[in-house]
Amino acid sequence: MRHPVLGFVVMIAAASLLILPLSAHHEITAKFDPAKTTRLQGVVTYVDWANPHVHIFMNVGTGNNVANWAVELESVIDLQKAKYTRETVKPGDALNVEGILARDGSRQVWGNTVTLAGKRIFNVPEETVNRTPGGPAPKSADGKPRLGPAPGTTGYWARPSMTILAENGTNIRANKNGLLANIADAGKVAPFQQWAKDLFELRQRNRLADDPQYQYCLPPGGPRQFQEAYGVQLVEDKDHQRVFVFVGGVNHNWRLIYLDGRQQVGQLRGDSDNPLYYGRAVGKWEGDTLVVDTKGFNEKFWFSNGGLPHTDKLHLIERFTRTDANTLKYEVTIDDPGAYTRTWSSGWNLQWVAGEELPAFYCQDNRP
Amino acid sequence: MRHRALGGACILALVLASLGFGQAAAQGPGGQSRGAQDVGQGLPAAPAAGAQAARGAVAAGPAKPTPRKADGKPMLGTAPGEPALWLPSGGGGERFVNADTADASADKLRISEVPMQPWARAILDYRLENQLEPHTRCKPSGGPRQFLTPYGVEIVEMPDLKQILIMDLGGPHTYRAIFMDGRPHPADLQPSYYGHSTGRWDGDTLVIDTVGFNEKFWIDRQGTPHTEKLHMTERLTRTDYNTIKYVVTIDDPGAYTKPWTSGFNFRWTANSELFEYVCQDNNYAPDLMVGAQEFVDRTSKIVP
Repeated sequence: MRHPVLGFVVMIAAASLLILPLSAHHEITAKFDPAKTTRLQGVVTYVDWANPHVHIFMNVGTGNNVANWAVELESVIDLQKAKYTRETVKPGDALNVEGILARDGSRQVWGNTVTLAGKRIFNVPEETVNRTPGGPAPKSADGKPRLGPAPGTTGYWARPSMTILAENGTNIRANKNGLLANIADAGKVAPFQQWAKDLFELRQRNRLADDPQYQYCLPPGGPRQFQEAYGVQLVEDKDHQRVFVFVGGVNHNWRLIYLDGRQQVGQLRGDSDNPLYYGRAVGKWEGDTLVVDTKGFNEKFWFSNGGLPHTDKLHLIERFTRTDANTLKYEVTIDDPGAYTRTWSSGWNLQWVAGEELPAFYCQDNRP
Repeated sequence: MRHRALGGACILALVLASLGFGQAAAQGPGGQSRGAQDVGQGLPAAPAAGAQAARGAVAAGPAKPTPRKADGKPMLGTAPGEPALWLPSGGGGERFVNADTADASADKLRISEVPMQPWARAILDYRLENQLEPHTRCKPSGGPRQFLTPYGVEIVEMPDLKQILIMDLGGPHTYRAIFMDGRPHPADLQPSYYGHSTGRWDGDTLVIDTVGFNEKFWIDRQGTPHTEKLHMTERLTRTDYNTIKYVVTIDDPGAYTKPWTSGFNFRWTANSELFEYVCQDNNYAPDLMVGAQEFVDRTSKIVP
C-alpha cells in the first residue's frame, strides 16, 4: 500500500529519490511533516538501538553552532531484517541525512535517506506480499485445521489484506496504520453513531497521534491485534482447551481464548467484573472454523487501526478459518450499541510467514 | 533534569503505594515492586473461595509426590482441570540474593558473598538506595526477576511445539519462550529482555541456558547487576507436588569475578489461573514510562 502523501513528497523533492517509510509501525506523519524536507550533515554522538524506532543522535554544525539532532529510523526488527545492526554506525561517523522535520519544531528528523561514506544505509525495502494459496491446511490430531505451526515447523500470521476496520462492501483506502487516504470517506467506514463518527474523524485529523498503543504501549484488544505490524501467532493448547494469541508487536502480549465451555465471567482469582483490554473470550469449533465470542472490554484502547471508537458494550464474534496452509480468513462481527447504529461485519485475510519465529517487539523498549 | 523531578513523583507514588495509600495505588506497578509489605495487597479482587484456596496453598503435612507426564518427566505445567500458578515461596518479598543481615541459607547467597566487580557493587549500592526499578516503568523482567512478582507465572509445556512458555502475570503482559527442539542460540542475537533460551532435561531437572540479555532490566528486585555478557543457567526441579526448586548460575564476566549460584523455591498455588494484568494500565508514572515523547533528551537518563 502506497503512502497517501508519497506523491506529494516526491513532487517537492524532485531530484532526490525519496521513499517514505512504508513499514513504520505507527503513523510517523503524526510527528513529522512530509512537506518539510531537509538535508543534514552531522557526526554521530549516540546510537539508541531500540524499538519501537531506532534513534541516531548527531551533532550538526561547527564551532559554537553545534546542535544535537535526533534522526529517527525504522524499528530494530525491520532494520535487522534488512541486515543492519547497532554496529552499522558508531559515534564519530559522519552521516548525510535527508528527511522530514518534526512538526513541533524540535531538532528531530525522520531519516528517509541516510548515507555513510557515500553508501546508503538503513534502507528497509518494502515487503513483497505473495498471496498465493498454499497446500491444504495442516490438521491437528483431532482433525481440525491447525491455527498455528505444524510440529517441526515455524511460522506466524501477518500481512493483513485490509489495514483498517471497514464494513464489508465498502472500498476504503487507508495506509498501513489505518489513516484514510481521503478523510471524506470517514462516514462510510462503519455505521457510526454521530459522536463516534466525530471522534473517529478527530482521531484521523490528528493523524492518529492520540493512539494509546503508541502513546502508552497499551494492548491491542479486538480486531486490531490481527492488523498489527509484526503479526500474531495462534498457539492451540489442546490439553487445556484454550488458545493463546501472541502479538508480535506492541508489547509482545498474550490473549487467551477458552474452549473449555466456561461462561464469560471472571477467571479464577482475578478479573471478576473489571473490564479488560482483551475482554473475556470463549470459543468453539463450528466445522473447520473457530468461532470466538468476546465481551467485557474496557474503553482505554483503540480496537482497530485508524481509531474507530468503541464502548464497554462492545461484543465481538470472530471467526477464524485456515482456508489453506498460507491463508487465515478472519471475520468479525461488531455489536456495540454504544457507538454504532447496528451490528456490522468486516474481515480480511492473514498470510502465513513460513520458517520464521514471531518477532518479539516491545513498544516499551525505547522509553526511559 | 525533568526526569529526575518525575522520578521524585514516582518515588512518592511508590511510597504511597507501600503505605497502602488506597487500593488503586497498591495495584499499580509500583505497588508490586516495593518489597514484602505489599504482598497480597496488590492482588486484584477475587472470588472468595479461589483466594482462600490460593493463600492457604501451603498445606500442613507432607506434600503429594511430584506429578509426572506420560514421558516420565516431572510436570511443570498444570494438569487439565487443575488450574494453578507458581508463586515465589516467600511471596513478593522473596529474594534471589539475601541481605547481609539475613541468616545464612544453603541455597541462597548473601550480597557480600556475591563475587562482584567493584563497579557492580557500586551500582548495586546505588540501586539499593534509589529503588527505581525498570519493572516499575513496565519493562519486561528477564532472569530470576520473571519469577519474583507476587502475581506468579504459569509454566505452559507445549510438547507439540517443542517449547515451554512462561507466562508472566506481573508486568506488561508479556511471556518468554524456551526452545526445547535442540536448536543452538543464533549467532546474530540482538540483546533482549528475556534473552534467547534453550532447554533440555537433565534427569528430573529442566536446564535452561540463556544468553542475549539487554541491560535494561534488573535480574531481581534489589538490583543485582548484569551486563550483556550474562550467560544464565537455570535449573528447575519439581521436588514435590507443591515445590519447584529454582537454582540459577550467573556467569557474567562483565560484572563478576567468577560465576556464582543462588536461587529460591516456587510454591504451587492451586485454584488460580492466568488473568489480565497490564502494568501500564494503572501506572502512576506514565511520563517516566514514555518520556512524554521527549525522545531527544537523553542527558538525564535514569540509571538502569
